[in-house]
Amino acid sequence: MHEVSIALGMVDELTRIASENNATKITLVKLKIGKLSGIVVDSLIFAFDAIKLEHPIMTSAEIIINEIPLIYECNDCNTKFETEDIYFPECTGCKSYNLTIVSGEEQHIENVEVEV
Amino acid sequence: MCDTCGCDHDHEIKDSKTIDVNQSLLKSNDEAAASNRKHFNEKGIYVVNLISSPGSGKTTLLEKTIEALKDSISIGVLEGDIETELDAERIRAKGVPAVQLTTGGACHLESALIHKGFHKLEHQLDGKKLDILFIENVGNLVCPSFFDLGEHIRVVLISVPEGHDKPIKYPKAIKTSQVMLITKTDLVEHFDFDIEKTKKDALALNPSIKILVTSAKTGEGLDKWFELLNDALTGK
Ligand SMILES: Nc1nc2c(ncn2[C@@H]2O[C@H](COP(=O)(O)OP(=O)(O)O)[C@@H](O)[C@H]2O)c(=O)[nH]1
Ligand SMILES: [Mg+2]
Ligand SMILES: [Zn+2]
Repeated sequence: MHEVSIALGMVDELTRIASENNATKITLVKLKIGKLSGIVVDSLIFAFDAIKLEHPIMTSAEIIINEIPLIYECNDCNTKFETEDIYFPECTGCKSYNLTIVSGEEQHIENVEVEV
Repeated sequence: MCDTCGCDHDHEIKDSKTIDVNQSLLKSNDEAAASNRKHFNEKGIYVVNLISSPGSGKTTLLEKTIEALKDSISIGVLEGDIETELDAERIRAKGVPAVQLTTGGACHLESALIHKGFHKLEHQLDGKKLDILFIENVGNLVCPSFFDLGEHIRVVLISVPEGHDKPIKYPKAIKTSQVMLITKTDLVEHFDFDIEKTKKDALALNPSIKILVTSAKTGEGLDKWFELLNDALTGK
């Protein structure tokens, strides 16, 4: 359950961001989570919803997850393609395994909505 | 009474705004890791982070490594576990300084704890310089792969009894490691473990991973492991 640690780190960062921006309340947190990040979204939200109750500035904060698809670009034929195969993706154009990841590893806080 | 106009109810005059953040969820650990790495570099210490499932042979590998190398290089160990001092005691019994880091439930080590543990280890060193610091992570193939500790290499152990499907079941552990040790190969005849398949799967996930096939029991492949460490120390 690394999601608990990640949620704890996120709460620390949100606290810092809120104080830097003189926010009185955090209402919304938008995250970008790639399909290949290894973060279990439900676990992260579950952990955050428990931890946030101890932090008055974010007790009513909601999380919105922007799930980023897994996209590769083929180094042999330059095809860009989306795939569900997180283990051994192959190029849809030429079946090559020689690929570069374009998106899907994201584990970011995108933006935060606050009241000031 | 409200401060704005002196009437006796609150006005909803709060402004809301969106703050662009665009930073990693693991930022605080990543920053602490960078600071650890800088510190280790300044001191000239090469740091190895060992990750595996529980019981894959991390502590045994360290014991063998210490036996073989402790006369030629100075070794220190940080032992991560959820509870108990047992592994640190095993290491100290080999005559090498060790600090136990108990996470009290967490299934991985984080950089802030490594920082504290390293300073504790320095007390045991009495000014002696370390060449290499081993960190034995908490037995878990998932969570440790998210947390950079400031190490120079991450080494993942997959033992024969665990089964050869481990690389594809735990791709992040393979992708974030630079070295993979297949351990307990003395047991290979008792298990349905295909060493070549394991290597192939790991290389498909991480084409640059270096793979060693080892047994702490028979000593198979350990010379290659020691050579890898010596090469790293001499900057080859
Ligand atoms: N047969 C065999 N057993 C091993 C080998 N390496 C470790 N073990 C055994 O595996 C068990 C777990 O090893 P340990 O080093 O404590 O694993 P850790 O949890 O990863 O630190 C112990 O009983 C070891 O004696 C090996 O190469 N061959
Ligand atoms: Mg151990
Ligand atoms: Zn292609």
